[in-house]
Amino acid sequence: MRMITPWRHPANWNIFRIDDRLLLIFIGIIVGVCSGVAAVALSRTLIFLLNWLHPFRHYWWAFVLPGVGAALSSLFLNNFLNEGAGHGVPEVIYSVSRYGGLIRFRSSFSRLISSCLTIGSGGSAGPEAPIVMSGSAIGSNIAKFFSLNDRQRVTLVGCGAAGAISAIFNAPISGMVFTIEVILGEWTALNIVPIAIASVAGTEIAHLLQGDHIVFEYGHFDIAFVDILASAGLAVVAAAVSIALTRAMRGMHKVAGRVPTSPWARAALGGFAVGAIGIYLPVVLGEGYHSIQEAIDGVFLPGLAVAALATLSKILATAFTLGWGGSGGIFAPALVIGSLAGLTFHRLIVLIWPSVAWVNEGCFALLGMAGLISGMLQAPLTGIFLIIEITGGYDVILPLIVVSAISSTVCQYLEPASFYLKELVEKGQLLRPGTDARVLSDLSIQELLEKDCICVGRNMLLREFIDIIQESHRNYFPVEDEETGHFLGLIHLDDIRPYLFNPGMYDAVIMEQLMHSHAEVVRLDDDLGKVLRRMDEKRLFSMPVVSNNRFVGMISKATLLDQYRKELRVQTCQ
Amino acid sequence: MEAQLFHIFRNTPLGRETLLQSLYFCKKTDAAPVVYIPKFTKFLMYFENDVVQVDLDESYLCSAHTAFEHAEALIRDARLEPNFLEPRNFTASTLPDIPTHFDFMCCPRSVSDLSSKIGLGYIGPRVRRIVNAAHFPVLLTSPVYKPWHSIAVFFGGSANAVSALRLGLRIRRISGLPLEVFTQAEKKPEFYEKVIQQEGLEAKMAQSVDKWHVFETGTLEENLYDVPHDALVIMGAFGHGLIRDLVFGSIMERIQSIISNNLLVVGPRYTANI
Repeated sequence: MRMITPWRHPANWNIFRIDDRLLLIFIGIIVGVCSGVAAVALSRTLIFLLNWLHPFRHYWWAFVLPGVGAALSSLFLNNFLNEGAGHGVPEVIYSVSRYGGLIRFRSSFSRLISSCLTIGSGGSAGPEAPIVMSGSAIGSNIAKFFSLNDRQRVTLVGCGAAGAISAIFNAPISGMVFTIEVILGEWTALNIVPIAIASVAGTEIAHLLQGDHIVFEYGHFDIAFVDILASAGLAVVAAAVSIALTRAMRGMHKVAGRVPTSPWARAALGGFAVGAIGIYLPVVLGEGYHSIQEAIDGVFLPGLAVAALATLSKILATAFTLGWGGSGGIFAPALVIGSLAGLTFHRLIVLIWPSVAWVNEGCFALLGMAGLISGMLQAPLTGIFLIIEITGGYDVILPLIVVSAISSTVCQYLEPASFYLKELVEKGQLLRPGTDARVLSDLSIQELLEKDCICVGRNMLLREFIDIIQESHRNYFPVEDEETGHFLGLIHLDDIRPYLFNPGMYDAVIMEQLMHSHAEVVRLDDDLGKVLRRMDEKRLFSMPVVSNNRFVGMISKATLLDQYRKELRVQTCQ
Repeated sequence: MEAQLFHIFRNTPLGRETLLQSLYFCKKTDAAPVVYIPKFTKFLMYFENDVVQVDLDESYLCSAHTAFEHAEALIRDARLEPNFLEPRNFTASTLPDIPTHFDFMCCPRSVSDLSSKIGLGYIGPRVRRIVNAAHFPVLLTSPVYKPWHSIAVFFGGSANAVSALRLGLRIRRISGLPLEVFTQAEKKPEFYEKVIQQEGLEAKMAQSVDKWHVFETGTLEENLYDVPHDALVIMGAFGHGLIRDLVFGSIMERIQSIISNNLLVVGPRYTANI
């Protein structure tokens, strides 16, 4: 047994005692490899499913396939695995925000299977969010196995997400940037190094298993100044499409919620709708990488109107798939919609200004993808690096920066939070490290309790109370009911000052007459942020904490702010 | 500070019996009940190094409109203050997060299976995970309301057994009920005495324990007959052995499968104060 126990506590190994970062790098490699394998497994299974179902798509009844896939996916997730959750990334951010990155083990495989069923059958969704969830859960559970602390666990959750994104797109920098920009929201040396290493591990494992390939290859683009100017217009269009996609999905989710049926039937209905759209516009089905390649290569044959219609249809299909209960993410649909939007924009400006020597429409398809990703996620760096890496070139870097910057800024102006964070922000559950809300959420009322108060009875005479004052070091005295022990009110030392020098009152005044019976009280499960706000509003420096009608201690602003500073130092590694 | 016991209410006759056990426990230990009436069949409990998803069976959602008034009536009958827990945080829209800062938690032997399956000798995997991860002891109730009038601690010399003994001494101090200690001796009796000595519990034992039964002969099953039928049995969840991280201690498994008393199970993360 003694031989085995140390494996669970690698922080005690001699080699890692030198530097905590070594430990994180070492385990980060393991996490990156595991999440990379998961990403490749999902990618391979999706390809197999899509190929297997391809012959059936020519039949008239093929529209039921996405419905059946979505229903099976919902049944698997809600009934078999009892997950009952959304597309995954907000859950990961939530767990990082509130619970030091603790994620259930089942999440490491549940989304892989459910998203396979949804996307493989033709649902309009992407495999990236599920694989982020899966990689993060792998990182979290490996950290749990090795009994690592919260901060180390959060870093390993990031390693899992980075490894997964890197493996699925063959894009290590994007994996790292996405994780830090979207998932963790914290750029520190402690995070970046292990996450970068995990990204490399994830990419290398993908190379090993399926070869080194660029996801979307393209020829050379000669970018002129006029194209950069046009890219600013495309950025505004991309921002508008991003907002439309975000709102369509949220709106559809609300509409679906009003349909009085079981979740699997709801998912099936959404899937049937996608299947019906897919009969006329097959481009909306599945993850849609094939249509992205067509757009980049400039071989998307249908004209301007069909390209615009395809863009709107893909938005609708994605909203039907994810809003009605299918499983998957928005990354791939955003890339498809972005490429179609870019293509449409190019064709429109060519129509308006035919004499201008515009660059190839494939370039605008790339820029549209960056615009959508930057707008939806409000993460411009992720958009820029993703496009550079998945296309393997820097030709479009200047307009790419313009599009990403403008698109994310416009989206931020119109929607205060990105698609992933919107729900969390609305519920007040997004707590980024080092912020006021996060520091306060990591403190509990129990650990701030001051228990050296002396309670007095309601019928106690002032004479007895004066003896108690001599023993106490505090200014506040809680008053209790002698029989029930219930908290009745609070006496401040100032309240008795007028009677202190009047011995005639010593046997005439009882505590009940002096106490404030409507004292502001705090419950043990109250939110510390709200407690602090109440203290500010009412100009209070101390408040009594009451549980089950009984006084349990005082909470003071001074102690709270002392603990706040200590916690802030821990969170910001000062 | 007043202790709190967390109870998940099931609005069925079995749920009533379980709540009655919780309320009795609260009265004896001067704890306050915190009752959760589920609106979803699942919830999460985030512990220090583990997150446990509890999947309740459908009977926990039975007649939601009467659940609150049934629970409140039972709590008021017991002359305790009703205190209902309303989850504030949700990991997903149908997946509430339940706080884990309680001092005790009451579970039937399984929270995840239909009541028809629940019986002696079966502790559900969720309950095991909670015991393993929680910093509080878990009260496993007998199927019907069974008041207890004494405390029986099983002491096998392990770290968890010491925690169980400390908890027994604490409940003895609060409730004033007689406390007996039971040891199925697998080693020489001196070993157990030495553990008590090392833990500095000698004086407390002499002062508070009415009788220490050390069974040097006979099987555990037959010796358990000496445990009062109306005692609260307190014991550590894990034995000592090669697979202690994977399963409950073998002695604990055998005890819980034989006796029908209320059990208070102490996990490895519980740190007891007397």
